[in-house]
Amino acid sequence: MNKKAVLLLAPPLALGAAVLLAMPGQAGAATASSYQATLKALNHSTGSGNVSLQLNGNKATIVENVTGIAATFGGKPYPHVQHIHIGGAGMCPTASADKNGDGVVSTTEGGPAYGPIGATLSTSGDSSPKAATVLTVAPSGASFSYSRTITLDSKTMASLTSGKAVVVVHGLDPATLSKKAQGEKSELVPSLPLAATSPVLCGTLVASQMSQVPGGAAATGGGSTSGIEDEALLLAGGGLLLAAGGALVARRRVSRQS
Amino acid sequence: MRVKYDGHRGRALLAAVAAMLAALGVTVLVIASRAQRQAPQPPPSAAGTYAAGSLHAGTPSSSGPPSTSGGQPSAARPSGPVLAKSMPTHLSIPAIGVDSDLVQLGLNPDHSVQVPSLGAESKAGWYRYSPTPGQVGPSILLGHIDSARYGPGVFFKLGALRKGDTVSVRRADSTVAVFRVDAVAEYPKDHFPTLTVYGNTDHAALRLITCGGKFNLSSHNYEDNIVAFASLVSAHAA
Repeated sequence: MNKKAVLLLAPPLALGAAVLLAMPGQAGAATASSYQATLKALNHSTGSGNVSLQLNGNKATIVENVTGIAATFGGKPYPHVQHIHIGGAGMCPTASADKNGDGVVSTTEGGPAYGPIGATLSTSGDSSPKAATVLTVAPSGASFSYSRTITLDSKTMASLTSGKAVVVVHGLDPATLSKKAQGEKSELVPSLPLAATSPVLCGTLVASQMSQVPGGAAATGGGSTSGIEDEALLLAGGGLLLAAGGALVARRRVSRQS
Repeated sequence: MRVKYDGHRGRALLAAVAAMLAALGVTVLVIASRAQRQAPQPPPSAAGTYAAGSLHAGTPSSSGPPSTSGGQPSAARPSGPVLAKSMPTHLSIPAIGVDSDLVQLGLNPDHSVQVPSLGAESKAGWYRYSPTPGQVGPSILLGHIDSARYGPGVFFKLGALRKGDTVSVRRADSTVAVFRVDAVAEYPKDHFPTLTVYGNTDHAALRLITCGGKFNLSSHNYEDNIVAFASLVSAHAA
């Protein structure tokens, strides 16, 4: 089907889809279907990110962009385990949460702020808390885009809809830690260093002011004013000038004598 | 009767023909080149300086990037004037000659934002799942920059908007919400900053969106979106 036909069909199709999509959003002002979080840096990191979460029943479609966090771990891309934490104060911890004075707010020390894990934002497979420290299904590297639809359990849903769900990304650059912290082991996975499981980015999921956040860009142009327009007219003008030149050449050929 | 084309008469005739053709050719070229239309682009410094989460005082006179308060509970007290919910009906942007009724737009099946239907009369539209213009949050208005068939669209000159320009939206409750432009930026569609444009704000905000940048001939789409960010400054009876 060519683009023009699709464009002509799109409005009526979209109207139909819009009516269907409108229903979950309009089902009571209490339950929003669209959430977002701005991820801010923790523990002296310089990274940032954002999360969009669209809820459909108990299925959450999550789109996330992260940038500026630790790039490598043992020569390979740094795996950044990430989760939706629930049932805490619905906040991100401040530096004062560092109880043992090693300059790092560990995952456990941040617990009172964001609570325990409700779901794991893994790249594939299990997304329950059981997959929380599986490095092979964690997005990796200094920046990444994550997009996945996962099923949320009832406890996570309750926290999300009451504004208590917090997205936390883990994995600090060891070079940014104090000497003491660099030598410490993770309190969650003793075979890993503290840096690997400590939080680096954090943001509370809040209801969007929009009931449905669009997927991104808008197709608001057909291109008729881009580039060179009226090519036929330009060609005609050029052709006429050529013809004029041809007449001049012909004139030269006609002898002055009759 | 046989006409002689040789000699002086022939040469004079051909000279006259050449002159006519040349005059016609030059006229056509001038008409064609003056008909070239280029949509204005926002200043290059504006692109790429807007990050989600950047701070914004929320007052109309403050300069710089729009705010997203995604980290805070949305019950926080908004800054600046706020209006009750009311369907928008008409858009007026004197600085760029926009005077358009507003249609309502939803979502396409692929979850992209619906755009106004392409026709000789190019109207702007309001995205119905965003706040109505005047409520707290990002109210989204969209318009075509052009169409393949009909030339310039309602938002052809959106890229010429500058900070301080006025945007007025008439609403069904007979009020007019008056916004002032804070900034205009251009973003590549494949790196669209969703939260910067659609994210929560701490004031009554407006985002006007159209296409820009290079036109990709194989996909028949512009490569960028131009976004004008504005904040509510006042309201009056229609």
